[in-house]
This record gives sequence, structure tokens and C-alpha cells, in this order.
Amino acid sequence: MITCRNLTRRFGEHTAVNDLSFEVDAGAICAFLGPNGAGKSTTVKMLTGLLAPTSGEVEVCGLNPQKDPIELKRRIGVLPEDLGLFDDLTVEEHLELTAGVYGLPKREAKERITQLLRTLSLEHGRRTFASACSHGMRKKTSFAMALLPNPRVLFLDEPFEAIDPVTSKIMRGVLQSAAAHGITVFLTSHILPVAEEIATQVMMLSKGRLVWNSPASGLERGLEEHYFEMVESPVVEELEWLGQPQS
Amino acid sequence: MARTAAILKAVARALRRDQKTIESIAGNNFFWVTVILLQRAGTFIYLLLALILLFPLSTDPLRKVPASRRALWPLDRRERWSLRLLSPWINPMTWLLAAGSIFVARGSVSVGLWAIVGSLIAGVFLISSLPLGTRGTAWRAIPHFPGALNQLIRKNLREMLVTLDFYCALILSLCVIAFRIWARLPEEALLPMTALVAIALSSYAQCLFGLDGDSGLERYRLLPLRGWQVLAAKDAAYLTLAIPLSFSVVPAAGLSAALVALAVGHSATVRHQKPQARWRFSAGAPLMEGLWQAILIAMAAAAVMHTIWVAIACAAAWIASLWWYGRMWESME
Repeated sequence: MITCRNLTRRFGEHTAVNDLSFEVDAGAICAFLGPNGAGKSTTVKMLTGLLAPTSGEVEVCGLNPQKDPIELKRRIGVLPEDLGLFDDLTVEEHLELTAGVYGLPKREAKERITQLLRTLSLEHGRRTFASACSHGMRKKTSFAMALLPNPRVLFLDEPFEAIDPVTSKIMRGVLQSAAAHGITVFLTSHILPVAEEIATQVMMLSKGRLVWNSPASGLERGLEEHYFEMVESPVVEELEWLGQPQS
Repeated sequence: MARTAAILKAVARALRRDQKTIESIAGNNFFWVTVILLQRAGTFIYLLLALILLFPLSTDPLRKVPASRRALWPLDRRERWSLRLLSPWINPMTWLLAAGSIFVARGSVSVGLWAIVGSLIAGVFLISSLPLGTRGTAWRAIPHFPGALNQLIRKNLREMLVTLDFYCALILSLCVIAFRIWARLPEEALLPMTALVAIALSSYAQCLFGLDGDSGLERYRLLPLRGWQVLAAKDAAYLTLAIPLSFSVVPAAGLSAALVALAVGHSATVRHQKPQARWRFSAGAPLMEGLWQAILIAMAAAAVMHTIWVAIACAAAWIASLWWYGRMWESME
């Protein structure tokens, strides 16, 4: 469903993504892990057609994001890094916008919107403008927008960060159910226990390079242990001045 | 003062990165055109208006610092005030306008008037610091539009209704209505008034994405819409407000001028994408581009009075611009 061959993206002298090659099958939940600045969001942007690769090839749903951007956007749902919300639309209006742009029949759109608002506990804030929403509400709105058109592939950039435990559990359930129905989920996250719980494929990125790619069942040890070994091990430096009287 | 100086230094550095070329200095068409029209009679007042209305506003350097971060800094009241009052002076345009004001008003303005002007500026700075942002919902009750772009057009209208450009055009338009009802407005005044109403709105046409923010811009890129559709939703909102405003003047000229404003404004809208602030005047295109837009608006408004073919040509130019800049918008990252 997702194929990358020698994908590279440079920003001037800096290589953000370096010679990335991987495949993700239909119905998989792929956790794309790595430290801040590793190139995860850049990769997601290239997969969703928001950024052109410097070199290499990408195919999502059999389409090239650069050649068929509109057709690709019709088939994918995205929860972007900065959520992609308009301050001047309410939670419900964002969903109505998505339904209109993706051409959903009115009755079906209404039913799906009602169900999504209920499932994600957004009903009480449906008429709240995005500018007045909490970060969690904004994230749930963006997640609902990604799901609403019933996409074939879901790209979720850090979906579980800043989400309350109940909604996080609901979202995990929704994603597992979607994957069981053949929808491919490609997500980035820093919350390793959650990634470990739901992922069927794990990829780790470090300094723009893919350092690990295997089915989740292929991990011999815990994901966190693997991550520290493959990506970077934590070094806690003592900050002696912390707690000293202020100058 | 060391803390204030450190912040000003950082803000100045950020501002310098934005203002590497003369092109980055944007202005407001209505302001520049009225300065030119009124010449010496009104220059002083208008330069002051610019100081009051433009610089604490759209190009306020303190906007470089997120309000939440500013609130967290351990500054006392005196330091916050000095930061507020000193920050505009790190913008070279403020110096330029202040120098212009002093030059024009030398010897003819009393100390008292300067004091009034000073208080006005301080007052606007104060208002500028108030969290007017997105509070209230009165202007957000927008009717629905037919078609898939309904919510986009509604959003764009809401954005336009929180800019001062619209209210400036509205006041001009209402003044024309009042003059036509209660006084005798000479026929020859109608055309210039039409152009002025269109010019008052035109700077907004240069920064149609200005209030969407980075998050909104990313959403636009994710929607399965062609570039021309995104611009058309913007233009539909613009024309929804511009057309009724031209009813009080010369409707055909007003419509042609609005189409020209959009046709020319698409260029700056797509290429510069300057962020704007709510409840401020818009400042999108570089100065010369803005002036060209104003000149073409005036020419279109005048020419349409001779032949209706000009209106058709304006519509054709708008469609061509929509298509061209729509394609450019799609190709940009």
C-alpha cells in the first residue's frame, strides 16, 4: 500500500531523509519511530504529497504523490503535525468542510459526523471554534477529519500526544478496527508503550536513515530497549546548578 | 532594562531576517493612495494615521514573540510598558514615517497637537495589547453557501470581517449613501468614491491567506482541491462583501475594480503569504506592487464607464489569474 525507494530529501546542505526504502502492506499498523529531528514528519510530508522528494520514488495506494496529488488526497486521511485546523471554523464545521470537499452524500455525512463526535467525546464542544479548543480537542478534531472520508491509508503524526487516557484508548481501538478492515495506518509517535501495543510493523529512523524495519512480532525484546539500542541511548547529565539559590 | 534590551535585541534580529530586502516592506493601498491624493493638506495627518493604524498593527515587531511566551517572562510592569513602547522603533518603517511626519509638520504643529498625537498612539498601542483576537461570535454568524466549498467560503468571510479594511470601505460606502440621501453628491464624485471603496478593500486581496495561519495553510494542502478552487473560495468571500459595498457608488465600476483587485492581488497572495493580525489593516504586497494594483483598480473603474467590455475584460483577467496563480499555488511547498 505504501512503497518508498531510495527516498531522499535535502534542505540546502542538510539531508533530512537519507535513502529511505520500505514497504507497508494493506491493513498494517506501521509505527514510524525516531527522535526529534530524525526526519519522521518530513517523510510523512513526502508520502502525503506535501513535500517533493529530492530523489527517490514514493507510491501510496498505487499513486505517485507528485503526479496525482488530488487523486491521492481523496484516498488518504492525514492528521498532520500541526493539526491543520482553521481558527474560524468550529469543530463540527471542520467535519462538514471535510464531508463537502470529499463529496460525501449529506445524510451519510451527517450520520458519520454525529458518530465521530460521540466516539471521540467531542459532542459537547461541537460548536466551539478551533481557536478556543484545548489542544486535545483540536487533535481529536483533526483525527476525526482524517477518518471521516473513510480513507484507504491513514497518516497520523503523533496522534497520541496530549490526549487523555480514555480518548487514547478509544483511538487505539478505532485504529485497530480500521486496520482489521484493511485500512493501512502509518503513524509516528514518541509514546513507545502505545506504539508497541498496536503496531504490526515497526520502523526506526535515526538522523534521516532507516535503522530498523521489522514486523512487531520480530522484536525479541521490549520496544523501548530496542529503541535505545538502535536509535540513541539516554544519557542523563547532572545539572549541579539546579536547586541552588538563584543569583 | 537589561531584560527589555535582551528581548528587543532578539526581536530586532528576527525582524531583520524578514526585512532583508525593500520588497519585504509592505503597506496598505488605501493609506498610500490617500497620502498621494491629499498631498500636503493631509500628509501630516495621514503619516500619523499610518503610525497609529499600521505600525502598532499589522507590522508590529512584538508579534514575533508568542503572547504566551511574553506572559511567562519575569518582567515587571515598567519593563512591559517600555517593551511595548520601544518595540515599534526597531522597525525601520516607523523611523521613516516619524521622520516624514516631523518634516511635513515642522513649525506648523503645536506642542499640544503633538501631545494629542502621542496619546493617540499610546492609546492604540494599549488597544493593540488587548486580547481582542477571536473573542465574540457576532461577526461569525455567517449564512451558508451552496456547494462543496460552503464552509471554506464562510471561514473566509469570517476572516475578512475581522480586518479593518472592510470597515474602512464600509464607512466610505455608508458616507456615500448618506450624502446621496441628505445632501447633493456631485455625479463626478461617484467614480472616485467607487475607486476609493475598492482600494480600501484591495490590500486584503494581496494577503488572502494572511489569517489562516500555518495550521490552516497545511490543511489547504491536504484537501483534495485544485489551487484555483482554493483561491475561488477566497475570492467568493471577497466579492460577497465587495459587491454590496459598491451598490452605493457605481456597481459596474465597483465590480470591475474588485475583480482587478483580486486578479492583481493573487500574485502577492500566493508568492508572499504574509501573515496578518486580526482587527488590523492588511499589508500584503510590496509597496510598488500595491501601488500598481491601486492604479489598475482606478483605471478599470474609470474605463468601465465608457464601455461595458471593460467589465468583461476584467472578469477574463480575473479568471486567467485564478487559473495561473492556482497552478502556482499547487506547485509551491
